Amino acid sequence: MKRLDLIAAAGLAGLAGYILFESRKLAFGSLRVPQTGFFPRALGILLVLLALGELLRALRHSEPVFSMEKIAGEGWIRIGATLATMLGFALVLEWLGFLLATFLLMVLLLRAIEAPRWPKVFVVALVTALLSYGLFAYLLGVPLPAGILGI
Amino acid sequence: MNLLFCFIGALVGTLVGVLPGLGPVGAVAFLLSITFKMEPASAIIMLAGIYYGAMYGGSTTSILVNIPGETASVVTCLDGYRMARQGRAGAALGISAFGSFIAGTFGVVGLMFLAPLLGRAALSFGPAEYFALTLAGLTLVAYLSQGSMLKALIMATLGLLAGTVGMDPISGEERFTYATLTLRDGFGLVPVAMGLFGIAEVLENLVVIGTQSVYETKIQGLLPNRQDWRDSAAPIARGSVVGFFLGILPGPGPVIASFVSYAMEKRLSPTPEKFGTGMIEGVAGPEAANNAATAGSFIPLLSLGIPTSAIMALFMGALMIHGIQPGPLFIAKYPELFWGFIASMYVGNAMLLVLNLPLIGIWVRLLKTPYVILFPLILLFCLIGVYSLNSNVAEIVIMLAFGVIGFFLRRVGFEGAPFILAMVLGPIMETSLRQTLLISRGSFYIFLTRPICAVLIGLTVAFLIWPTFRRKSKSD
Repeated sequence: MKRLDLIAAAGLAGLAGYILFESRKLAFGSLRVPQTGFFPRALGILLVLLALGELLRALRHSEPVFSMEKIAGEGWIRIGATLATMLGFALVLEWLGFLLATFLLMVLLLRAIEAPRWPKVFVVALVTALLSYGLFAYLLGVPLPAGILGI
Repeated sequence: MNLLFCFIGALVGTLVGVLPGLGPVGAVAFLLSITFKMEPASAIIMLAGIYYGAMYGGSTTSILVNIPGETASVVTCLDGYRMARQGRAGAALGISAFGSFIAGTFGVVGLMFLAPLLGRAALSFGPAEYFALTLAGLTLVAYLSQGSMLKALIMATLGLLAGTVGMDPISGEERFTYATLTLRDGFGLVPVAMGLFGIAEVLENLVVIGTQSVYETKIQGLLPNRQDWRDSAAPIARGSVVGFFLGILPGPGPVIASFVSYAMEKRLSPTPEKFGTGMIEGVAGPEAANNAATAGSFIPLLSLGIPTSAIMALFMGALMIHGIQPGPLFIAKYPELFWGFIASMYVGNAMLLVLNLPLIGIWVRLLKTPYVILFPLILLFCLIGVYSLNSNVAEIVIMLAFGVIGFFLRRVGFEGAPFILAMVLGPIMETSLRQTLLISRGSFYIFLTRPICAVLIGLTVAFLIWPTFRRKSKSD
């Protein structure tokens, strides 16, 4: 777990370096007349210093100051499946339409955790898609994509 | 119509508070997108209802399940759950509801008097004062964070950097947009908040899916008896005052208020060793404190235009979406909005008292909803909420990205609250700093010559060096 602290600190130092690099394209101005790049560059320098401080702290302590329980393989699968499903929803939403995309989203998310029986999954997914469509499209007036079903 | 929105907000807030997994920040972020089409007064009334409703609802799970519905109810688990185990769940729930009502009413009265006063005082604030105030606020939030202060400062710095994405507030030049339309408006507050607090929380809960057992007891007698009132009166009074003033300070006001109140009651009690075994004072005081703090936390936002916590940052976002700038002139320019909001808080507190007591049975049944059903619904609401902002799929991707970042950062002890607060304060801070340097011709001495600035900068330095000083004196 101490390794995670070191990786996080090194990652932050890298991010700070990248921000300083990108800020070169912006005009810094001067202390009298600070311009567009003034604040990002100052923050980039501050972040480098803080990240180095965190790196030193992580190196000095033999145990991590903060740690959470390790994630088992099953946990990673659930997390990965959930994220992939949500990303897939975002990509197909405007093509398939809200109703169909929501139905598929619910089917996959319900199966991602506990794999209830298929009839239960279909019923819950269908009811959720219809109720949420009614709530958002009609009650709240949110414009939702119609997609291939045209609804 | 506003009464209806107040009721909806209070109901949703109680639901959010009862169900672990989605806190008031995530709920407000989600409903923010829906308030676009509403009148500003209705929007703010509903969102405020969610905030103080969650404080009421959070105590229900603490008492019945020993799991806090939201962070400010952590302390209620200590004695509240023990009372439930002793067959006194009704008394615990009842005193929690009544105490919250009394404290909430006290907080609203305090808000009514203090906000206009502070607003008038803030008219003398210039850019230097605003920069010093935002700097002190962020430093205090980092100081009060539950984890490492260094990590909180890193998150605050990242939040300030995230706030620079988009258009420069002074020159209008693009920064870090990579020629994309989405990033030209910067990272949206709603996608980032829902990612860091909603998605990250759900991913964390997916690590281990457990079932929670609700303590099966017949809840009888929700009205506290005379002895309960005698024992609780002073803790409620003390919790109300302490909570209200702690709520004004930057940081997670209700959380800190509940812990301080518990510690205070334990210290003042003739039987401190009994705390943790089912003392009603351990429920009454903290629950009063966290509700009073919710009212207090509105004061800096409405009178100074400075949000002091993640949820206040979202409220500020809600006001700005409707073209309303909170600050010293807010009460003078929008008196109907301010007084309507105050009135709604009175009414909302009464509604919550009515909602929480008779509907306990329904909340208990909801608690038994398996997480396998709950989490897809939470995720669906997050996805639709973000999409409904601008019908932009890219914002869903931003939310997911921040969800993943938030999940991993939490695993190594980095909290989301300093980030979101800094992201909202960033533009104010940058504009104030650049204006100050223009006025002072590049001299930082201006921060020491103006009295309010000097005090705030002094406080900032104190917050930064105090942890080091305390560590040294401990090792000596």
